[in-house]
Amino acid sequence: MTGHQTVTQARVGNNYFLKAVGAISTLAGWTSATMIVLAVAITCQMIFVRFVLNHSTIWQTEMVVYLVIAATLIGLPYVQRLRGHVNVDLIPLMLPRPVRFYLCILTLTISIAIIAVMFWYGAEFWHFAYERGWKSDTVWGVRLWIPYLSLPVGLGLLMLQLTADLVAVVLKIDLPFGLEDS
Amino acid sequence: MDPLTLSGLVALTTILVLFSGVSVAIGLLIVSAGFLLVFDGARSLELMPEILFGKLDNFALLAIPMFIIMGSSIASTRAGADLYEALERWLTRVPGGLVISNLGACALFAAMSGSSPATCAAIGKMGIPEMRKRGYPDGVAAGSIAAGGTLGILIPPSVTMIVYGIATESSIGRLFLAGVMPGLMLVGLFMAWSLYSTARSGDRELLTARAYSWREKFEILPRVLPFLIIILGVLYAMYGGIATPSETAAVGALLCLLIAMVIYKLWNPRDLWVVLRDSTRESVMILFIIAAAGVFSYMLSSLYITQSIAEWIGTLDVNRWWLMGAINIFLLIAGFFLPPVAVILMAAPILLPIIVTAGFDPIWFAVVLTINMEIGLISPPVGLNLYVINGIAPDIPLKTILSGSMPFVLCMVLAILLLCLFPGIATWLPDLVMGAAV
Amino acid sequence: SEELRLSHQWSNQDVRNKVAQIVADEVAAADVDLDIKIFGSQSLFKAREQYTPLSRGQLDMTILPLSYAGGQQPAYNLTLMPGLVKNHDHAARLNNSDFMKALQEIMAQDDVMVLVHGYLAGGFAGTKGCITKPEDVAGLQTRAAGKAFEQMLAGAGASIASMSSSEIYNAMQTGVLDAANTSSSSFVSYRIYEQVKCYTPAGDVALWFMYQPMLMNKSTFEALNEEQQAALLDAAAKAQAFYLEEAKKEDAASADVFREAGVEIATMSQADFDAWRALAQKTSYAKFVEDTPDGQKLLDMALAVE
Ligand code: NA
Ligand code: NA
Repeated sequence: MTGHQTVTQARVGNNYFLKAVGAISTLAGWTSATMIVLAVAITCQMIFVRFVLNHSTIWQTEMVVYLVIAATLIGLPYVQRLRGHVNVDLIPLMLPRPVRFYLCILTLTISIAIIAVMFWYGAEFWHFAYERGWKSDTVWGVRLWIPYLSLPVGLGLLMLQLTADLVAVVLKIDLPFGLEDS
Repeated sequence: MDPLTLSGLVALTTILVLFSGVSVAIGLLIVSAGFLLVFDGARSLELMPEILFGKLDNFALLAIPMFIIMGSSIASTRAGADLYEALERWLTRVPGGLVISNLGACALFAAMSGSSPATCAAIGKMGIPEMRKRGYPDGVAAGSIAAGGTLGILIPPSVTMIVYGIATESSIGRLFLAGVMPGLMLVGLFMAWSLYSTARSGDRELLTARAYSWREKFEILPRVLPFLIIILGVLYAMYGGIATPSETAAVGALLCLLIAMVIYKLWNPRDLWVVLRDSTRESVMILFIIAAAGVFSYMLSSLYITQSIAEWIGTLDVNRWWLMGAINIFLLIAGFFLPPVAVILMAAPILLPIIVTAGFDPIWFAVVLTINMEIGLISPPVGLNLYVINGIAPDIPLKTILSGSMPFVLCMVLAILLLCLFPGIATWLPDLVMGAAV
Repeated sequence: SEELRLSHQWSNQDVRNKVAQIVADEVAAADVDLDIKIFGSQSLFKAREQYTPLSRGQLDMTILPLSYAGGQQPAYNLTLMPGLVKNHDHAARLNNSDFMKALQEIMAQDDVMVLVHGYLAGGFAGTKGCITKPEDVAGLQTRAAGKAFEQMLAGAGASIASMSSSEIYNAMQTGVLDAANTSSSSFVSYRIYEQVKCYTPAGDVALWFMYQPMLMNKSTFEALNEEQQAALLDAAAKAQAFYLEEAKKEDAASADVFREAGVEIATMSQADFDAWRALAQKTSYAKFVEDTPDGQKLLDMALAVE
């Protein structure tokens, strides 16, 4: 969603862990936004090179694709911090407070578990590409461990932010599912 | 387990998990991991990050953040207000005044933004207070903007059309063109309803528009010019042989950012960051769902569910229109709960073979699908546009926004029926511009 | 019964799906308690994402252009090198050569083995005119199939635009692209004849041959019992014979489709071919040797096949 609504974000209270994780996620968000802007610039450069100069465009398409992938993965923790990942909160809304609290802890724990699994295999995949020296099969031939690095980094930071969210709910610093009492 | 029972189990589990309040993307990953682990063994689990990465490895996806930046850079300026004010000054002879101008502005803005919430926010933040000030009922004010905002994904450019194009390997340029006429038809239907309901409210004054002098009319034109240039520029780039949709989107994003900075003085780094933050937030959310839905569809395919359902439907001997009706109801229900991209990515691989076998045009179907998704955007429990309106006008109760949107939902249902009766509404323009379908 | 999963990127009507189907049917008929499930049209993995899971044992079988994995094993780039293969019979001789043995040793390092060998040919098409010799592409926005062809065409003065074969139609329609090089079957299945003025199909001499074998994970194969292995190898032999015959037919069939659509058909002469090859030696061959360990040795082995 765009603009103008007040952006809700994870509450951190006076907890140093939560503040630190929040800062890391925000930094990741800046990185992600920068990558998207870079993708805009490079694409425009590519059109200029091809349409105006009628030259070859060797590396641009690939670079832009990897930038958008990295922007997505590295942006994950920041969007989690901004409560930007859409969910269906119909049932949590209907539940009484204590049940909602435990459901939130359950869903956060499972979320952390699945992202942890993906982080693990993502890191393994990255390491595999690094060790074997894989390159993309294009003229540019980028070393694939570079774009693949966004997998462990993005998923790892998302895992960290989710853990912070869990801590905040357990310590009652933030509300379960961010829902106010009706 | 036979594949059809298995698909029932997957469907049930998915509903349960998604209703637990977990975020949609992570929920899809959880369901996928669970079924892959049980039915495929650990080796498929190892593949998940690789598949996630692979689903994002597509140049066409670039268009999504680009078209979102186009919308949000303009939305964070006074541009939305300028747009509908210009329309109001020029549409003096058209009865209905402000609500008509607002819907028109939504349609114009939709031609610059690929996303519905952006359209809704851009026009709504000035439009809703203005309409209420002039005495429009809250329901009409909020409902018309919520509904007008949904045009963002029907009138090109459209994020959901891009996703559909990727999922079904259809031409994105053709899909965009297919949305134009149905989009205009919907605007017409929305306007007709707004006029009727305003007239019925008895306040004749609302219907008689204020008169503007020619001076006032021409004064505002330069302020709308940049947008017309952007819209025409994007159309020219895309259909005039300069760039593919993704590339066009990048040019559009750059132009919109520049216009926002130069004409609307969006220089302050803090304000610029708000634009980038909002674009990043929406893009990352959508792209993560796309990636996770990709993992989900890998699971469906790996467990042979997609293939079995398609085969099963193929053996059913039903009238194609019953089939279309059933598909529409399924899409409507899915759209109530899930954001459009998730529905399209999960449903398209299963539905497309069925659609084609039953003799429907996939480009036409994209439009029907999109209108279904538009309904989902203004219906609970996950109605992104409702939340946007709620953010803009927190004092209008959600119930009033909802009841105000209901008639527009009926307009959309009517539009789907019209499209079924006259498929040409969708297919005429793309066939005209790009030749008969490949 | 035991189940093997085969993934590929092509549609049901494609010759490569038919090859997969023959292997699956023959193995089923052999009644050795082995099933092959085919996942076509990229329904499981995207085209370029099949080699990695294959080599890690997460996918059992695939049919793919081996050069897709050229970023992982640079030697594979030799399987899509301009002018290296002269015609289909020459391709068949390559399959039984020392060169192919050397390639298979490299595959074995990735735990991959070949079940069915096969080459498919392709040609050129242009929206403005015919492309037969290097001078014809100068200044054209061109899509080439494969890195080595991109290097060669760039050497001829073409501007290279990278895209997948499914995007050629739209790119030509909007004028982004002036010329394309891809396989005969892709030219037909993506209906490129609606967009071009002239087509240069693979004929008696052809520049573009791509090695597209059926591969299997080696450990998975070795874990099968002897009867199952024998049934697979028998089925593969039958499929390979079929593949060669069909590959020969496709070039002529594609030329017919383009001719019927009113497209001009051009032929590449031996002199044109030699000019391309001389250019390739300076560009793609040289780059290959530079980038690949033992590159010169492998190239010489391939060139030695008569
Ligand atoms: Na739009
Ligand atoms: Na909804």
